[in-house]
Amino acid sequence: MAKPRSVLVIGGGVAGIQAALDLADIGLQVHLIEQKPAIGGRMAQLDKTFPTNDCAICILSPKMADCARHPNITVHTLAEVREVTGQAGDFSVLVHRQARYVKESECTACGLCLQKCPTKVADEFEMGLQKRGAIYQYYPQGVPAAVAIDREHCLRLTKGRCGICERVCQRGAVDYADKDAELVLSVGAIVVATGFDPFDPTVLRQYGYGKYRNIITALEYERLISASGPTGGHLLRLSDRQPAKRLAFIQCVGSRDVHSNRYCSSVCCMYATKEAILANEHDSEVRSTVFYTDLRAAGRGFQEYIARAQREYGVSYRRGRVAEVAENEQERPVVWYEDTLAGRPASEVVDLVVLAVSLVPRRGATALASTLGVELDDCAFIKTDPLSPTDTTRPGVFACGFCRGPCDIPESVAQASGAAARAAQVVLGGVAVPSRIAEQG
Amino acid sequence: MQDVSIKTFADLQQEVVQAGLCGKCGGCVSFCSAGQLHALEPDEQGFPRYSDESRCLKCGICYLICPVTSDLEAELQQKFARELPAGGRMVITSARSTDPEVRQVATDGGVVTALLLYMLDRRLIDGAIVSRRTGLFSRVPLIATTREEIIAAAGSHFSGSSHLERLGEQYTTYTPTISAVRGLAGNRLSRVALVGTPCQVNTIRKMQCLSILPADVITYTLGLFCWENFAFTAETLQNRLGVDLDDIAKINIKDELIVVLNSGRTLHVPLAQVDDLARPACLACGEFANDYADLSFGGLGSPQGYTTVLIRAPKGQRLYTEALRQGYIEELAFSDASQMRSEKTKMMAKVVAFTQRKRERGRVRKAELAAAAASVDQGGSSG
Repeated sequence: MAKPRSVLVIGGGVAGIQAALDLADIGLQVHLIEQKPAIGGRMAQLDKTFPTNDCAICILSPKMADCARHPNITVHTLAEVREVTGQAGDFSVLVHRQARYVKESECTACGLCLQKCPTKVADEFEMGLQKRGAIYQYYPQGVPAAVAIDREHCLRLTKGRCGICERVCQRGAVDYADKDAELVLSVGAIVVATGFDPFDPTVLRQYGYGKYRNIITALEYERLISASGPTGGHLLRLSDRQPAKRLAFIQCVGSRDVHSNRYCSSVCCMYATKEAILANEHDSEVRSTVFYTDLRAAGRGFQEYIARAQREYGVSYRRGRVAEVAENEQERPVVWYEDTLAGRPASEVVDLVVLAVSLVPRRGATALASTLGVELDDCAFIKTDPLSPTDTTRPGVFACGFCRGPCDIPESVAQASGAAARAAQVVLGGVAVPSRIAEQG
Repeated sequence: MQDVSIKTFADLQQEVVQAGLCGKCGGCVSFCSAGQLHALEPDEQGFPRYSDESRCLKCGICYLICPVTSDLEAELQQKFARELPAGGRMVITSARSTDPEVRQVATDGGVVTALLLYMLDRRLIDGAIVSRRTGLFSRVPLIATTREEIIAAAGSHFSGSSHLERLGEQYTTYTPTISAVRGLAGNRLSRVALVGTPCQVNTIRKMQCLSILPADVITYTLGLFCWENFAFTAETLQNRLGVDLDDIAKINIKDELIVVLNSGRTLHVPLAQVDDLARPACLACGEFANDYADLSFGGLGSPQGYTTVLIRAPKGQRLYTEALRQGYIEELAFSDASQMRSEKTKMMAKVVAFTQRKRERGRVRKAELAAAAASVDQGGSSG
């Protein structure tokens, strides 16, 4: 039997999308699997990207559209890998696909059902800052452009009541009888691009997250300042919805800390700078302070970006580690910190605190690694080698993007192309290419 | 593939409205309006009816969330931890508003009004579902969003007002389509406090069990003790109490019906004497102390000018403690700890006694209604 000329890409974020496109353009069949109802990943949640201030969704959308219409790419949403057997050049992968309860081929994402669904639950894409129905579109620009039913909350599926979406759908797209499916894919190589989750700062009690309403994480901030986000791009305090004029960005929350994550998440100094710039672009009265441990601007144009933030956008950088965030009578956060340059304790009262939380491997990444039979490093990122940075410990399985360690968007995309090239070698070479890192081991 | 056995508004009409059990809480209509289905409306008396039957999608949710039906009982208990004898985990206390203006208009100590003002001042809520007095027995439901509106709504009311319907309308006004929902900016009503009777809190809690609108905007539930709501008319007042409607200044229910006249005279009427004037549905209801609310309030057990407060959920505890700390309310002073203990024990005993009386009355009344319905059925089938 001929070896399969196809590749499995796990994760539909920007890295997985890029890997899929490169492989498909070479002429290989690609199965792109994504656990959410739409591809796009974390980048789709971002407002802008540093250091160019490009609109994230605007530069990502064309790639997503290319994925959707590429004849060589099959996108499997709501899917996850359950089992992998075989070896490089000839893997057999068992994929579990959760029922969508909506026929993708019929749904036009017109939104009628979304208006009529009586259920209101926290919207994960919007970081819980707004609510969505039990039938929902993961986000408006999502690919595929089809809604899905959340079976945990749908009253038709949990209680046998309601059924409103089926009745209002003009296309007959709603299908409550949809079932989960298992598919077996034969692929020559696997590319892992599962990305990151933000670290939950609730456990770091000194920052007051979860206790005070005007303390948010950076990803929540991205949704808050996004024109398609819950406030329509207005930067408001969560407590009273008044415009936030004074911002504090606290760096290294859960990073570079022996009690949580030892490593540097690498993108936070730059995204905090970007977020502070955006606030000032939205409202020129806004002033921001970035409380940093060390300012890390190692990348093309990064140092200049920081200089511009200081010069043109009213951003101050203060070297100091924050000891505690409290709150005053007006629900304004009070940042207590040690100014480590001046060597004295100080405090600052602001309207909104943004925590630059550590970025950690996606939930389930460890289980996936064991399913794939690849090793992790001591921070739970996929283990790779400096001179073959996209090879995992298992021949034929490659990794790119944040799942193999902190990196920004351009680097994720570059790694994706690298991983795609390595995967293509395995499939097109006709013989299994042993993993370089495994050879060394 | 809809399950044919699901109960819809037709069943609700038969089992609840026609059976005389509808307390006119307005839950079903508020859901139907908030969901933009617009199949239901209140009739002249406040009972739900079809406004346009063709718009009914037979979703069955109105039936599910009715405080009288019991399909969600298990979930309700699990989620909101109802416990005997008088509702969930609680602390009992007696307090009053520190604001003379509030105390002036309040039925008891004005604690509910004080807490609403506190929440509004601190922007914990965008508004509160209350009802504004337009006459002694007439009230107009409204969502109060200012201090003035909240004070205008102070004072309890025993004529019953289906003020939840208003929420349904307003919900649609403020959140017309999903694409326009801007939970934080555009939608000014995303955090609302409900002041309500047990049936109203019950229907909201059922909606919250299902995570459905419009209950998603209800962030605090302030429950009122509820013995019954009366359907007084000028005629019954004259016949029963020998007073003229125009002479009445204020009405209160504690362990008796208290009618304060404009002349300053106060009538004390045993409840048993006016039970038959209560709305029939109230007689079949078994809930007195608003078991599912975050906090419950009433005059029962407290001295004149004070409100008895039952603190239930941790959220209710935080609210009460903060309002106390910030001087919106003050607690009844006791001479010492032992007096406090003995007074609170007495207060609690009263609340529990009323809870048990109402539960028993409801049980008996429900049994009577069921027996009556059964005999009607039998008559029908034999004829």
